[in-house]
Amino acid sequence: MATTQSAPTLTFPRPIFAALSPSPFLQAHLAPKNPIRANARAPTEFRKPGLNTGSLTHCNGSAVVRLGNTTVVCGVRAEVLRAEDVPQPIDPKADEEDDVEEIDTLRLLVPNVELSTGSTPTFLPGQAPSTFAQSLITRIRSLLLSTRLVRAKDLRIMYTPPRTTEDEDEEVQPEVKAYWTLYIDTMFISLDGDAFDAAWGAILAALRNTMLPASDWDQDLEMVLCDDDVKKARKLELRGLPVAATFAVFQGEEDEEGEDRSWVLSDPDAFEEGVCRESVTIVVDGKKGSGKIRRIEKSGGTVVGREVMKGLIRRSEERWEEWNAVLKG
Amino acid sequence: MIDDRRRINPPSGGTSAPVFARTVKEPEYLPSLRPTRERGPNDLRKIFLQTGIVPSASGSAYLEIPITQSKTTSLIPPRSSLKIACAVHGPKPLPRSAPFSPHLLLTTTVKFAPFATRNRRGYIRDSAERDLGVHLETALRGVLIGERWPKSGVEVIVTIIEGDEDAWWGDSFEGGRGGAGGGWGLLNVLAGCITVASAAIADAEIDCVDMVSGGVAAVVQDQENGKEASRLVVMDPCPSEHRDILAACVVGYLPSRDEITELWFKGDAGAPPEELIEKATHAAAASMSVLREVVLEAVQAKFQGQLPEFKGKSKRKNDQPDVEMTG
Repeated sequence: MATTQSAPTLTFPRPIFAALSPSPFLQAHLAPKNPIRANARAPTEFRKPGLNTGSLTHCNGSAVVRLGNTTVVCGVRAEVLRAEDVPQPIDPKADEEDDVEEIDTLRLLVPNVELSTGSTPTFLPGQAPSTFAQSLITRIRSLLLSTRLVRAKDLRIMYTPPRTTEDEDEEVQPEVKAYWTLYIDTMFISLDGDAFDAAWGAILAALRNTMLPASDWDQDLEMVLCDDDVKKARKLELRGLPVAATFAVFQGEEDEEGEDRSWVLSDPDAFEEGVCRESVTIVVDGKKGSGKIRRIEKSGGTVVGREVMKGLIRRSEERWEEWNAVLKG
Repeated sequence: MIDDRRRINPPSGGTSAPVFARTVKEPEYLPSLRPTRERGPNDLRKIFLQTGIVPSASGSAYLEIPITQSKTTSLIPPRSSLKIACAVHGPKPLPRSAPFSPHLLLTTTVKFAPFATRNRRGYIRDSAERDLGVHLETALRGVLIGERWPKSGVEVIVTIIEGDEDAWWGDSFEGGRGGAGGGWGLLNVLAGCITVASAAIADAEIDCVDMVSGGVAAVVQDQENGKEASRLVVMDPCPSEHRDILAACVVGYLPSRDEITELWFKGDAGAPPEELIEKATHAAAASMSVLREVVLEAVQAKFQGQLPEFKGKSKRKNDQPDVEMTG
């Protein structure tokens, strides 16, 4: 970049420099010994999550999550799916831990994401969901299912029919009369990078906030009736607390010795996402040293190898502690 | 229902909202949940307004009319609050394919979030949302000085995170009248949309003749002790608090010029409707006082350190020097 030729120097205000040549702009920030990104964060620094739960009136659970300039609202709404409306009934397996198939086939979790709310100039309303929005929601759904976060047991509405015969020994089997279907709607109010982490954090917080009313099958009316008493409502028992951490890899220009320079940036903002091609998303559950890896997604480049990945997992575990404190606090 | 292949679809068998046992089985329980208006007829609900919530947009604002609710033991919310976010993108050049336009082209989009109302809404815009968009456009077009931006367009995008209801939810249960035609909540939502869009346009620094604000008034007939009460004109009606709304009116009003850019009148007001419109403009003027204060505060924050009287206490965060670009 810096040449010794006596070329006329140009001075630009920061935003214009960033818009004209984004890559050298970011490199100019990262090249010094103590690199500070253009958004005044260190390369390994995440944005501190801000959380507010239970603010939506018509939802069973809701959360607003802020990551810097990214703001997401998530509302979980439970509706009743009658067992007789299910085309192919699925018998619950004996092993309660193996319930993904039931939730997946019956489509009991319906997550959706809306980006074209004016949250960013890239996605304006009036068009079909962009490829980005579609892939985002597919990744979220697949993560919801593969982490087995929600238990099918919590979503079943059971009914034990009264004894019909005098026989005292006859076992009366409880039967599944209906299911709770959870609509998980996520609206982006403002988007400044790292959509996945923000959306996942909001969904996780909203599910933790969700209260399902006590429900029972009414034999006379042949419908599910719920109790509106707050005290009788129950929370979902989630399996673990998987937290997502996204990294972007910035590949700068070669330095004087001809060596490649690259930096792995935690929690990239929209500007950095525009410059970086390689990205890694790691989902971990558990604090440093004892964290379980629930998912690794990596695409776009070749910088992150085994050694770098180990470091990233450590950074994800640190991130888990941050989210854990926010979600449980 | 046809599956939308670009989104995750609900179960094909269809789902229904939960039904609460006590509302079905105990006939006296349902009426006990009915909310009543505790404000005076000329008192407005408190408005919270903030600008600059979407940094990547040229202007944005958020409006909330919170519900004052004591701790309840029921899971059924008695009424709804109003939460609206608005983002303005532009003015920016029109695409090359667009025909020449001598003035600024305004596009307004109003969309309810799926969780905005008691009944879940879809992701694809319905006719009510399109209708609101057109009403909002008329209200805003009257204030923008469009001639200053030939060949450009501006997008005003309004997201309703929570909207007012058309009537008390229990009325559909009881088979009540629910007012003439219903749809009263849309008027409140439109008034909120006008106010929040006006704040966002001011935040985007688009030239206007004045700021416009929305206000609603309604003719209601409430029952008291089983007897039909006389007609009453109320400002800022919350539809779930009234048994019968006979007529309602929303205006987009410019208080300092005393002009109306948008008027939407519904129902049968009986005697001359001027009183109703008059009250609606009063409501608009009241929300204008909030709007004016918020916009003024935002401008002060924006120009801190640039205006001479603020120079002493410069608090700009990005006080970084320019970057030199060589080569």
